[in-house]
Amino acid sequence: MYGETGDLMRTELAALLRQHRILHRLGEHSPAAADAVADREAAGIAMQQYRQTILSWCAEAVMAAKPLIFSATLPAPANPFKTANEPGTAVGELARALRLARDASTSRRATTALLTIPSPNEVVEHWRQAARAAALAEHDTNGAAGARLTSPQAQALVGDVAAVTQALVVLDQRYLNIPGWERLAEPGRLGWAALATALDVSLGQPDYSIDNTGWRPRTHELRISPQKGILGVLQAEHDLLVWLKSFPTAMNLRLIVDSQQRLSRRLAPMVERTDACRAETWRARAASYALLKQQLRNVGGRIGNGGPAVAEASKAVSRLRAVPADTIVEPRVAAGFQTLFDGIDQRVAEIVDTGIDRGAYLQRVQVPRLVTAAGQMVSPVRERFMPLDRSVNTELVDAVRGLLPRDPAEPVAPGLSRSVLHSALIHRPAAAADSPQI
Amino acid sequence: MDLEHALRLAQARSFVAALADAAVDDDVSAAFESVLVELDWLHGDESPGLDTDGLSEDRNVLYLAATAAIEALALFGLDALDLELILVRLEAARALDRL
Repeated sequence: MYGETGDLMRTELAALLRQHRILHRLGEHSPAAADAVADREAAGIAMQQYRQTILSWCAEAVMAAKPLIFSATLPAPANPFKTANEPGTAVGELARALRLARDASTSRRATTALLTIPSPNEVVEHWRQAARAAALAEHDTNGAAGARLTSPQAQALVGDVAAVTQALVVLDQRYLNIPGWERLAEPGRLGWAALATALDVSLGQPDYSIDNTGWRPRTHELRISPQKGILGVLQAEHDLLVWLKSFPTAMNLRLIVDSQQRLSRRLAPMVERTDACRAETWRARAASYALLKQQLRNVGGRIGNGGPAVAEASKAVSRLRAVPADTIVEPRVAAGFQTLFDGIDQRVAEIVDTGIDRGAYLQRVQVPRLVTAAGQMVSPVRERFMPLDRSVNTELVDAVRGLLPRDPAEPVAPGLSRSVLHSALIHRPAAAADSPQI
Repeated sequence: MDLEHALRLAQARSFVAALADAAVDDDVSAAFESVLVELDWLHGDESPGLDTDGLSEDRNVLYLAATAAIEALALFGLDALDLELILVRLEAARALDRL
């Protein structure tokens, strides 16, 4: 997830920015002067490889986001056949400068061994962690993940790249005295392009929900012993969401929908005293599922499975039935239920939509009639199912839409690490004159 | 499935669905819904559609009609024990409904 990798990268760079007297820090393990120089040179080579990994991520991330960034300051070109993100915009210049810096460097990107073996030196270790985060962030912002970015999310990403680039430029200047250190190509241009880009995107409204996107490990059912009480319900609900990955038959979907109605209805009073608003949301959820259940009465279809999901749903209901009615659900557990409910609601809506599109779910014909003109000795019963048509079954479509949240999602906070990096970029070391004197 | 069987099943489903719609609260409604699901399960989900329009609003009448329709399904080769279990569930839902 980009939230984790981006956060780690910014935190480590902020820690590096707060480190001064670098030569001293790099040579502290070797008191002998000759050894110290060799150590610093080796550390410099490793740090340049780490820097190259970070630069590569920056260059590729900005390229992924660039088509979605439209300058808030520049007027649109008079020629309608020219797009507003042509070369000359801040982000275009940043992309060019980053590509130049990456290609001009003679260092290679850090190998897997360099990225994974911890270093005893504090400075190198911070670089390693930052580079590791950058390597992992490629999963989150490039390729398929980059193709799903929205324009406000792309603004947030480019803002992050600009801040990271600024950090690299500042560190590049600070590390000049390290033996064998290779400067970034056009560091001044790179720094100014990063500053202009940061200013440009800050005029828009960056969407920090990008932190919730990117690669995630595959979820699996909880491999723990069955929990007791309300946690057992939470466990079964989690496993239900995992098993819902497989497409259920219409009958099993009805059972799952029924279980969700019962769960929401029984859980709402338990959370009433700690969060009345959430209790109301869960009652509304129960009502939505009751409506959907009513609409699914006339829906059939044997394609799919969903047996394990039904088993988990049944477990959740039976465990909740064993929980005393006066139990108070603590806010953290309630938030866990809410997350799972949101996931299940979304998945159920997807399943019904997919079922209609694929023809896996069918409409039951109300009363079968004999087909008398079939030309056979025995008149067969007319087909008992017909494809579901969205324009006819508007009530089913509305019931499914009722599961999805209608309110716009709340804006996501930018997170602490961004402000930490920004303050590290402009911080000044405490002057000797400011320190207390005897 | 014979036409007569399909008609009986459609009636039974319609009456049980009407009972679920007219139930005093959601828990009772869910209990009647589970009877409906059981009926469909018994028929391999090949049940005909239901229609609750125009049915009586008297829950006692609906209950008696649903019981009669489910009992009549025994004529079409269904296992009597399965039908009896469905009737027990229907009875339990009725008890919840304070009929």
